[in-house]
Order: sequence, then C-alpha cells, then structure tokens
Amino acid sequence: MEFKTFVFYFISAVLVFASLRVVTLKNPVHAALHLILAFFSASGVWILLQAEFLAIALVLVYVGAVMVLFLFVVMLLDINVDRLREGFWKYLPLASIVSLLMVAEMALVLGGTYSGLLESDIPQQDSQYSNSKALGRLLFTEYVYPFELASVILLVGVVAAVALTLRGKTKSKSVSPSEQVFVKAKDRVRVLKIPAEARE
Amino acid sequence: MLTLSHFLVLGAILFSVGVVGIFLNRKNLIVLLMSIELMLLAVNMNFVAFSHYMQDLAGQLFVFFILTVAAAESAIGLAILVVLFRNLRTIHVDDLDSLKG
Amino acid sequence: MTLADMQFVVPDLRLASAEIVVLAMACLVLIVDVFVQDKKRTLTFALIQVSLLGAAVATLLTSSGQILYTFNNMYVGDLMGDLLKLCVYVTVSVVLFYSRGYVNDRPQLARGEFYVLTLFATLGMMVMISANHFLTVYIGIELLSLSLYAMVALNRDSVTSTEAAMKYFVLGALASGLLLYGMSMIYGATGTLEITAVAEQAFNGQINRTILAFGLVFLVSGVAFKLGVVPFHMWIPDVYQGAPTAVTLFIASAPKLAAFAIMVRMLVNGLLIASADWQIMFLILSVLSMALGNFAAISQSNIKRMLAYSAISHMGFMLLGMVTGVVGGDARFALNAYSSSMFYVITYVLTSAGAFGMLTLLARTGFESEEIKDLAGLNKRNPWYAALLMMMMFSMAGIPFFVGFFAKFSVLQAVVAAGYLWLAIAAVFFSLVGAFYYLRVVKVMYFDQPVEEARVVAPLGVKVLISANGLLVALLGVFPNGLMWLCAYTLSQSL
Repeated sequence: MEFKTFVFYFISAVLVFASLRVVTLKNPVHAALHLILAFFSASGVWILLQAEFLAIALVLVYVGAVMVLFLFVVMLLDINVDRLREGFWKYLPLASIVSLLMVAEMALVLGGTYSGLLESDIPQQDSQYSNSKALGRLLFTEYVYPFELASVILLVGVVAAVALTLRGKTKSKSVSPSEQVFVKAKDRVRVLKIPAEARE
Repeated sequence: MLTLSHFLVLGAILFSVGVVGIFLNRKNLIVLLMSIELMLLAVNMNFVAFSHYMQDLAGQLFVFFILTVAAAESAIGLAILVVLFRNLRTIHVDDLDSLKG
Repeated sequence: MTLADMQFVVPDLRLASAEIVVLAMACLVLIVDVFVQDKKRTLTFALIQVSLLGAAVATLLTSSGQILYTFNNMYVGDLMGDLLKLCVYVTVSVVLFYSRGYVNDRPQLARGEFYVLTLFATLGMMVMISANHFLTVYIGIELLSLSLYAMVALNRDSVTSTEAAMKYFVLGALASGLLLYGMSMIYGATGTLEITAVAEQAFNGQINRTILAFGLVFLVSGVAFKLGVVPFHMWIPDVYQGAPTAVTLFIASAPKLAAFAIMVRMLVNGLLIASADWQIMFLILSVLSMALGNFAAISQSNIKRMLAYSAISHMGFMLLGMVTGVVGGDARFALNAYSSSMFYVITYVLTSAGAFGMLTLLARTGFESEEIKDLAGLNKRNPWYAALLMMMMFSMAGIPFFVGFFAKFSVLQAVVAAGYLWLAIAAVFFSLVGAFYYLRVVKVMYFDQPVEEARVVAPLGVKVLISANGLLVALLGVFPNGLMWLCAYTLSQSL
C-alpha cells in the first residue's frame, strides 16, 4: 500500500470512530470533545486533497469558535445526563440497521461510479501554486456577491444572538418615583388576624 | 491508489452517522445539534473531494461559505437553546410538549 | 484556470440595486434604532416602509423585460423575479401594518430587532428569487431562515415561542443539510454550480444520470421542507401555533413566494432534463400533503394550527401544477402549468396574509385570539370584520367566485390537460374535505354566541388596508384574467 493511501485509511478510521462516539456518548462534554477530534481528522483528509486553506479554516472556525461555544453552553446549562439517555438503547438496533443500509446504498451508488477516477489522472500543480491565494483571488472577484451576503448572515447572527440573550441592566438601584408615589399600604404590609391563644 | 470514490464513501458514512445520531439522540438537543454539524461535515467532504478531482475551485469556495453560515447558525441555535433552558430548566425533548395537536 | 489569465469584470451593480437599497437601509435602521426613545418605534417602522418603497422603485426602474445576469452569473434579473419581488415588498409592507398594533402591545416584540430582522428576511427572499447559482440559493435560504428562527424566539419569556423556535431551528438545519448534500451531488454530476450551466451540461448529455437522480432526491427534500409539504411538514403546525401571531403572519405569507421561486430556478431552469424524476417525487408529496393537511386540520381547536395544516394542503395543491409541466418529454403544457402554480401561490399569500392579519387585529394585550371559539359571534361584535374573514375562508375553501376557486380551477385545468384525471378527482375530493373546517369557522362567527364583548379597535389605515385585502380576494375571483395573464407573461419571458 502506498503511503498516502495508508494515511487516508488511518485518518478516516479515526474520523469515523470519533463521529460514532459523538452520537453514542453519554456525556455531552465528551461528545463535544470527540466532535473536535472528528473535525481535526477531517481537516487532515482535506490536506490530502490539497485544500490547505479550508483545512486550516475548519480547525480555526470549528474547533476555535463553534466547538468552544458548544462547550460553553453545555457547561453553563445544568443538564441531567441520565434522563437524556432514555430510549437510547431502544432505538439503537433499528438505528444501526438503518445506518448500515444507508451506507451500503450510498456506497453502491457513489463507489461504483467514480472508482475509475484516479489520483494520478489529476495534473500536478507546480510548486508556486498556492491554494489560499487562488481561493482569495476568486473570493474577492467572482464571488463578491455571496461574500457580501455572508457578511450579512454573520450580522444577522450577531443581532439575533444579542436580541435573544441580552437582558439589559438589572443592577441599577434607581427607583421610579411615580411607582413609589402610587404604592399603597396594602401592597407592602399584610395584616394578618391571628386568634389569640390562651396561655397554658 | 486513492480514487474519488474513497472520499465520497467516507462522506456517505459521515452523513449516515449524522442522520443516525439524530435518530438516537432525539431526546438530547445538544447532541442533536452536533449530529447536524456532522452532516454538514459530510457535505463539505463531498464538495472538497469533487473540487479536487475536477480541478475546479467552485466546490472549495462553497465549503468556505458553508463554514461561515454554519458558524452563524450555531450561534443562533445555541442562543435559542439558552433561552429555552431559561424557560423550561431542561433540554430534554420530551419536555417540549406545549405544542401538540 | 491559471491566475494570470483571470480578468476581473466589475459586476453590473444597477441590476441588483433593489438588494443594495434594502441592505443599506437595514444597516441604517440598525444604527438609527439605537437612538430611538419612542416605545412604539414609529421612526423605525417608517424607515422600514420607506426601504420597501425604495426597493419597489428600484425593481421597477431596473426591470427591462430581458434575462440579464450579473455578479459572474450568480444573480439573474428577469420578469418573473421582478413580479415575485414586487409581491414580496407589498406583502411585507402590508404584514407590518397589520402587526403594528400587536407588536406595540407586547414590549418583548416592540424592539428594533423585530423590524431589522424583518428587513433582513426580506433581503434573504430577494436573494432567493434572483439566484442563479446554488451558492446564492443556499445563502438566500439561510439569510431568510436565520432571521425567522430569531423572530419566532423573540418573545423569549414564552415557553411555546421558544419551543417552536427550537423545533424550527433543528428541522431547518436538518433540511439545509439535505439540500446541501443534494447540491454537492449535482455539482459532482455536472461539474458546475451555476444553474444555467447545469442546464447546459445536462442538455449536452455530459452528465452522470445516476448521481444526478441521487442528488435530486436530497434537493427535492430540502425544497419540500422550505415549502412545508408532507413528509417534511412537521415544523409548520408547531411554528405557526407557537410563534407570536405577528411572526406567524410573516412566516405564512411572503416566504412562500421565495420558496416557489427557488423551486422554479433550481428544478425548471436548471434540471428540467430530470423533470420525469422530480415530477414523480412532487406527485407523491402533493397527494400526501393534500390528504394529511386537510384531514388533520379538521380536528384542530386552535385556529393558527388549523391554518397551518391548511397551508400544508395548499402547498400540496400548488405542487400539482409543477407535477404536470412535462408529460412524456413533451413540454407543451409547461408554461400553462407553471403559471397556474404561480397564480396559486400569489393568491394564497394574499389570502393567508388577510386571514392571519385578521387574527393579529383581533388579539389585544393579554389576549391572543388563537382558539376558534374566540371568534364566536364575531358578527355581532363587528359585522364587517366577520364578513372579511368569511371571504378569506371562502377563498381558501375554493368556493366560487372567490380567488381561491380560480386558483384551484386553473391548476386543475393544467392537471387534466396533462392527462392526470384521477389526480384532479383526488384533489377535488380533498378540497371538499377542506371546505368543512373553513365553513366551521364561518359558522362559529355567525351563529355562536359571543363570549367576548370587547370592541375590535384598529387604526383607520389598517382598517382600509384589510378591507382592501378582503375585497381584492373577492374581486380577483371575478376578474382573475389580469393577474393570470401577468403570471403567464412573466414566466414566458423568464424560462
């Protein structure tokens, strides 16, 4: 076996293992950590495909930002792990059969069609070629329209996240004078009638 | 020798794991979101593989945009999750039962 | 392509001036709103209306009647797009007028974010309508969806709203995943992501049919989710019921136009060669939607949920037009069939905006007017509103001579012309089932005793607007030819 093929199989094995652990692990924190492993391995596969820029972007964006966000949320929320697992074993046999069937079908369609397309058929890039440079050139010329729109999407993300979670100041000690004036005695003091009890 | 099929089948396996993860973790919103991330990873794998074997950068640029959008998407998703948790004190899917009919 | 021979052509920005106006105004509103002290946000509201007006003017000025591409063929400007965009502006504008009172009564909603997100969602719809590249389709969908997820959850202390938002988000993200997987397969099969280039490649026969069909399954699933047809409908009832009524009003109207547009762009413009494959998928989706939508709506007591199931059945009916475009490789009836679908979706949006708009007007502070029984005796409280809501219900039920009848009639004509007689009979049967629950609402309004005595108050402008909306539903039923001709003409100039 050629070295590159060996590397591919090794990384893919790690990737598939990690992704399986993501969906089967009990603790969401462990699942998130395995997802990070999966993203790392995927970026390794992309390096094999000579997509260096995306491989690095995947690690930076996903591991650096998205997964940290996930971990923060998991740790902030006080989650009852045991209840989350209800029904897991009940669905496991069916789910594994469905997944194996899906993989088999998709592999049949995809495996046969493109098995003739070999790595060696692809023209080698010269040593001056830079993947990032080529992507950048395209991104800021031909793809300027989606690029601008992607910035709008990020803006919507910011606006939405702030609108949903920002609760404003609560530490202010100022009191509204009008509310103070309108307070009635019965709002503040409750007079209870307790029957007197005779002394022993 | 590596062929395009190798990468596509890897993508198909990841996609299926993602779909099964949604099945298995129907009770657990946070792992549900992670399964969706796995599905997107599978899609990205396909695009990068096609892009490399067809020597066409359009696929890689598409992946770039998917990564961008997915980041914004998970920010909103987690914001909704936090708001929901404040209201319900749970992210257990069975407790999401106020809408039925 | 080597880097040296790459020439950068400055894109024709004029063509996209409507998008630029909306984006610039959205950013402006975002800044101006920070300084708005007014609890009712009158200035923000006015600015949004101005930007919609500006976008309409820009669209009208740039409309040329030709099919023009810009931004390296990622953006297409044609008459169909212009018509749908104008419909979107009008709908969004009217929807905001209807929901203004509702929003002002609820401090959680009456924030600048509500209006800004509306404008961003509008931009997303415009991008979808003008998309000629799978990337712009995806970005448009996400821009619309992300804004909508946030709008549904904007009432953040309500359990039902946040729950609806969570369900919408999870299912929406899943649908995006399916759509993207389909796009990646079509990219693999044709080697391009540009929709017109996909059509060219497919026409020249240099494609892998197996992979194309494989990708098509995922693509159709993604589109079906956005339209909300069975079996990708699960989000519709929960989101319609759980979202604040003003947001439901928005979701139930304009986005349907954009979903129709991407369906035409991707499947008719791009993959007409595979029409045999996607027509059969749509046939199944359509029959299932009409069956499930109409039967499930009968047992609902919440009127928003009932109208949600009704929306599922209407989208199923609309798909019938898409099913019958190409018969046995013969595209003679295609224009007729697709224009009947377009007529259907435009008139449905008109009716749906009117019906949900009425529910929004009937809601007050601390009272939501969500149950069908809340409408009891509406005739005694306000006969004119009852009459308007009755017109909407009659139109949705397809009673002659309201516009819904003609929409159904023209779709059925296309179905029969294509030779699917059984399909037409099934569609009529399901519509009859549907008529039952619409008429129940009318019965409750006219014959039940009112439980609620409060008068319905609305500003004069809104009253005029909703009356115009109701009368339009009736008038278009008598004179449908103008709009019908417009749909057919714009489509014929765009395909």
